[in-house]
Parts: sequence; C-alpha cells; structure tokens
Amino acid sequence: MAEQYLKTESDILIIGAGGAGMRAALAASDAGLRVTVVSKSLLGKAHTVMAEGGMAAALGNVDPQDNWQVHFGDIVEEGVYIGNWRMAEILAKEAPQRVHELERYGAVFDRTPDGRILQRAFGGHSYRRLCHVGDRTGLEIIRTLQDQIIHRENVTIFDEMYITNLLKKDGRVIGAVGMKMDKGEFHLFRAKAVVLATGGCGRVFKITSNSWESTGDGLGLAYRAGATLQDMEMIQFHPTGMVYPPGVRGLLVTEGVRGEGGILYNKDKERYMLKYSPQKKELDARDVVARANYAEIQAGRGTEHGGVYLDISYKGAEFVKQKLPSMYMQFMEFAGVDITKEMMEVAPTVHYQMGGVRVVPDTGATTVDGLFAAGEIACGLHGANRLGGNSMSDILVFGKKVGEGASEFVKNVELLDVDESVVNQEIERVLSLLKPEGTNAYDLIDELTTTMSDNVGIVRDAEHLQIALETILKLKEKYPAVGAPGGRKYNHGLLAALELGNMLVATEAIVRSAIMRPESRGAHTRRDFPKKNKEWLKNITIVKENDGMKFETIQVPEVPEELKQYVKPEVY
Amino acid sequence: MPSENYVFDIERNDGKGSIRHDRFQVPKKKISTVLEGLTYISENLDGTLAFRHSCRMEICGSCSMSINGKPRMACSTIADSLNSEVIRVSPLPHYEVIKDLVVDIDPFFEKYKSVKPYIIRKDEEEHNKELLQTPEQFKLYEQYSMCIKCGLCLAACPISGSDENYIGPAALAAALRYNLDSRDQGSNVRLDITGGENGTALCHYAGECSEVCPKDVDPSKAIQILRRSGIAHELKQFFRREKDARR
Repeated sequence: MAEQYLKTESDILIIGAGGAGMRAALAASDAGLRVTVVSKSLLGKAHTVMAEGGMAAALGNVDPQDNWQVHFGDIVEEGVYIGNWRMAEILAKEAPQRVHELERYGAVFDRTPDGRILQRAFGGHSYRRLCHVGDRTGLEIIRTLQDQIIHRENVTIFDEMYITNLLKKDGRVIGAVGMKMDKGEFHLFRAKAVVLATGGCGRVFKITSNSWESTGDGLGLAYRAGATLQDMEMIQFHPTGMVYPPGVRGLLVTEGVRGEGGILYNKDKERYMLKYSPQKKELDARDVVARANYAEIQAGRGTEHGGVYLDISYKGAEFVKQKLPSMYMQFMEFAGVDITKEMMEVAPTVHYQMGGVRVVPDTGATTVDGLFAAGEIACGLHGANRLGGNSMSDILVFGKKVGEGASEFVKNVELLDVDESVVNQEIERVLSLLKPEGTNAYDLIDELTTTMSDNVGIVRDAEHLQIALETILKLKEKYPAVGAPGGRKYNHGLLAALELGNMLVATEAIVRSAIMRPESRGAHTRRDFPKKNKEWLKNITIVKENDGMKFETIQVPEVPEELKQYVKPEVY
Repeated sequence: MPSENYVFDIERNDGKGSIRHDRFQVPKKKISTVLEGLTYISENLDGTLAFRHSCRMEICGSCSMSINGKPRMACSTIADSLNSEVIRVSPLPHYEVIKDLVVDIDPFFEKYKSVKPYIIRKDEEEHNKELLQTPEQFKLYEQYSMCIKCGLCLAACPISGSDENYIGPAALAAALRYNLDSRDQGSNVRLDITGGENGTALCHYAGECSEVCPKDVDPSKAIQILRRSGIAHELKQFFRREKDARR
C-alpha cells in the first residue's frame, strides 16, 4: 500500500533557514508570494548562528577611505582571480544596505563613541570593515531574521524537516519530498520555484568548525537534479580552530582575535608571521595564515597539543572580555584556559566551501529551470579564498537577490502536478534505509571524514588525493547496504544514512576537482605543483551524467574595463 | 578505584506515555562533555536515541535537557564537573516530550513571538539610514540581548510549570530588551502584553530562571524592571482614560 504523505503548495519553497534562506523568504514575502521555508534543525539554530567575527560592509564608519570599490578589489584579489566579478560587485555595493536593513529589523551592533556602527579589522580587508556585536554576530543576525520571519503571514515554516530529494518534470524543478523528523511524517512540497540555501559541507571532514548540519545536503540535491557544481576543490581552512580538549577540536576561534590584535607564536615564542607575511602579518588572508600555521606545526614547532599559540592576553583582561566575550567563555568552559592570562592553542580547521552550485549572479538561478541557490551552497563570489566576514554579507545580499530572482521567475510559470508514483518511490527509498541489519552509517561516515582530513588537507598531493578517492569509491559501493534500526520518528541513524548519500557526492566532487587542478591557488595548495599556473585561470565544473560525474573547465569571466581599475593585476 | 566508564542513565520516552530508563557505558577517555557522551551512544551503541544538538559551542541553544536533575546545555556541561559516575539525563521539564530527550519547543517560541521581539518604529518605511545608538545606550540592554533561546529558563520556572499561559522568563526578558533599545518606539504595545494577566504579575521572583541561564541574561531581574515600568505604564493609561472620560 502506498504511504501517506502531507501536501503543501506554495509559490516558492526555500530549503534551509540560515541567513540566506531567511533573507530570501523575506524578499519573497515582500513580493507578496506564498513562501514555505523548511529547515533541517529548529528555526534559529542553523549554522549561521556560529558566525562570530562580523559582517563585511564598506560603510566607512571608522576608516572613511573605505568604499565599495576597495571592497570589490579585495574580494577579487584575495579570491585569486577565479571568482565571479559580478557577484563581487553586487556584494560590495549592496552589503552596506543590508547592514542598515538589519539595524532597522532590530539587530544590535557594537558602536563608535558617537553612536555609529563600529567596524573591526579582519584578514585581507584593506580597511576596518566588519560590523559586529562582540564575537556573536551570527547569533544576532539569525535572531533578527527569525524575529522578522515569524510574523510574516505569507511565510509558512516547517522546521526539523529534512528534504530527501528534489522533484523534476519537463526539465524543471517542481518541488521536493521531505521527512518531518519530529513527527516521522513524509511531506510533498509543490512549488513554482525552489531555492537551495542549505549551507556547506564542512562535516565531510573530521576536524571542522561547522555545526552538525553542514553535511552538503544541497550539493547532493542539486547534483542529482542535474545542476552544475563548480570550484569544489576550494575548501577553506580557518587558520585558528581549538585543538584541545579533543571534544572541541576544530571549534572556531574567531578571526576577531587577530582583528583585535592577537599574535601568533610557535613553541619557541617566535612571531613567525613576520616571516611568512611581513606586511599583513596575522591579518593576511585566511589561506596564507592557515598554511603558515600548518607549516610551523609540520616543522615540529607546534605546541603540546599540536597547535600554535595565539595570544591576546597582552591586551588586558578588560579589553578581552569586552571585545571577545564568547571566546573568553569558550576557552574557560571547554579548556579551562583563561585567555586574559594565557595563550590559546590553535590549529587550522575546515571552515567553508567556496565552491558549490553555479548560479547567475543577479538572480541566483542555477543551470536547472526552477532551481535557485544562495549562500554557502552557491559558488562564484569567493573564488579560491573567502575573506572573513564576507559570508555574512553573502547570505544577506544574495539571500535577498535569490528571493527576488525566484519571485520574478514564478510570475511566468504554473504549479505543475506531481506524479504520485514518483513521490511513493522516493518515500520507499527512504524507508528502505530502515533495516536493523544494515551497515551502521556512522562507521562509514567516520571512515569518510577521517580520510578527508588525512588526505585532502591544507597541502595536497596526487598520491594522497588518490588514496582519498579510492576510499570514497569503496564507501560508495558499501552505501547500498547502509541501514538504521528503529522507527521513523526522530531517528538519527536514519538521518545519518540519508546524509551520507550527500556526503559521498560532496567528497567525490572535492577530491576529483582537487586532482584535476595541477597548481596552487588560494585554498588549494598542491605539494607537487607548488606554483600558480596561468593556464589554470579557470573554474572546474561538474554535472551528473549517466556514468557519473562529468568534469569540464571554463574560463573565468573577465572583469570589465570600468572595474579593472579597482583590481591589482594578477602576478605569476 | 574509579571506573573507566561513565554510566549514562537516560530516560527514554516514546512520546505516547511509555517511559523507561536505559543505561549506557561510555568510556571516560572518549568524551569531555555530556553532548559528546550522547553522540558516542548514538554513533556506537544505539542510533535510535533521540536528542537535539547542533553547534556544540553553546550558541545555538539546541541541546537543552535535564542533567543530574538540573536544566542545562549538554554541549557545555563537562561530564567530569558533575562529580558523579552516573549521569542522569532526562527531557526538559515543563515541555511535552516528542521522543526521548526531544521536547516540543513550539509553545516556548509562541510565547517569545507574542511580545513582538523586533524594532517598532513610526518611520518604518525608511530602511536605508543608520540609526545612531551610543555604546552607553547599547549597554543598557546588552545583557538581555544575549538570549540563545535554549528554553532552560522555562524549564526551571515554577510558574511556567503550573500555568501554561504564563509568558515566561525568556519572552519577558526579550520584551525588556526591545523596550530599553533607544531605537525602538514600541514599549507601550509590549507593556500592554507583559502587564496583562499572563505577564509579569505571575512571577514570584524565585530566581530559578536566572540561575540556569547559560548566557547570564538574568530574566528574573528583567521581569522586575519590566513590572516596575508596567506599573508606571498602567498609571499613565489610567490617567489618560480618566482625562478622556472627563472630556
């Protein structure tokens, strides 16, 4: 007998309720459309909440010389010239408006003495540019958007809803099937357009700053629906994650620490950034600082727990507690370290996927009709390396853009009927994972994430990438045997089995792209190809074909003449 | 000799009224926080154990539960600090249980929503200008803006336990946070709500909410301040009505 499922119809279905998803919902709500937002976790708990340091926007409040042109140049240069210039332009121009809008929604910010929004320094930004509230900016952003979204009458929210697959008809995405985890019920969502705002895939690595949710679900959904992925080899390592105790390994230590004056030392108390980056020192771009930290640890100059030292204590207890209250608590509670008196131990941790679903800059449209994407799941803006604070601007600027883009799209299309058998098939697929004798998904996830952290790290080479690829292919073969005991309701084992399917797509895309790029650029460093190569001023794209992933390279769109003056020419 | 394992004694609930206790041995050297203990169980011993978690750094407010009898965040509760080899974990009180440690948090959010937790201004349309606020003005309410909506306060509050209509500590603190915000002009609207029959008047100032708050929001103090401004608001309303009546 066919399974029962609930049906919801809307103009736009938004998958993901982090900053990008919620901002997209507000835009579509402003357009007067019926919007459905689904979220894997509870509303307000998405990964955005973990952002600490701030949101980059060239307000020029503390450094009046700053403007969108400088911000634009910083993004293109630090993205090592393979980012999409148009996305960089949109972000640089519109981020200030999004900050002011957040303010009107009720977000709090730290302030200058005369009451304007305070901005702090961050790596790779030419001026002090990050609007922030202490070191809990993400919490404030998500709370503000949540408080807006919950009283919009045309927005319906389903939280703890896991989307298992997108549905297509005549080449167009027409909805999705989801499972409401807290109820164990299946849902069919019909929509004229679907927006992916599912965040990243940091969880495919063992050591990551990412929350439980970031398992690359959107990559799997988009890939299976035929959308193009791009730049998947570009995984950002944040230079400073906690290393001790083991349970918090990888947890983020905000770049705000360095922004406020934090200094990196090796175990010999040498300030080694003077050597790696004499000009920008601790505040160079993340790829540079992460590689420096890694190199010091590799050279045997690391700390007891395998990190380097980060010191802010010299600034005094009052300063530290005021500027970095969450960091103070985080180290006190988890590590028993008083950062106003002692140095922190830190090491690089997987933080962000620069790659993702290829989109049209102005609308967020993917290569599949009816499917849109924004935020970490979309790609192009950050190129080979993201600047700190640009992810918060990204989700708000492009969240709004995608909401508007999708709203425009739905004006000209009808809601299509969904074939019941397709829904039943998908439900059956999910339920087939409920088998007590199945292979434990967590065991496979452990093997997958371990191989990624061991072999696809900051510095890569052909040999280790090959080891990772072989492990991934072996796990892909084992995947059909995966199963979870228990029932439908709130079953973590079942969820892990579903997530693993997406994690396998994400990891294969990352590793094959990394093998394909024989150069070192931005976050992608090859031991066997240590130099940047002009021939590789390209993006690697991936689409699904019958026999697996098909890879191509495409030229990076050239910066138009009128904008070239804001970008330093690339040097090889 | 101390044992190498913690014993996690977990209250399992099928959401239909059937409750049992399961005991799991968790190696001490594998975990430091209670949340790690739960993920260890989930990944190695029993994948059907239901609990919420996300960020693991006490900022998302998902992993609220009762640990050794007290409402806490599992991610920031260091197992060793409990000074007990047996770690008793049960769902948060004052909420309906969905399954095991997962409770229905919707009523908490509904109450939160009821106090209009957003800036209310008369010039609503003008969105592209920075509103000024000095650091001193921000300091006035900063503490109340730290809430991570974990719901622990409602679990600790004896009034919330006996009166499901009570707006409760988190929502009342949120109301004060906006009322004290120099950019906001919606105090009167909120004071009508918080001063109503389900608002501040029900609080007994036992202070349990502030004791369990992981972010030192101090809802108890917020409620006291709110009640005082509520009385002033009431008097103002009263005199206005009197004046109107005389006219």
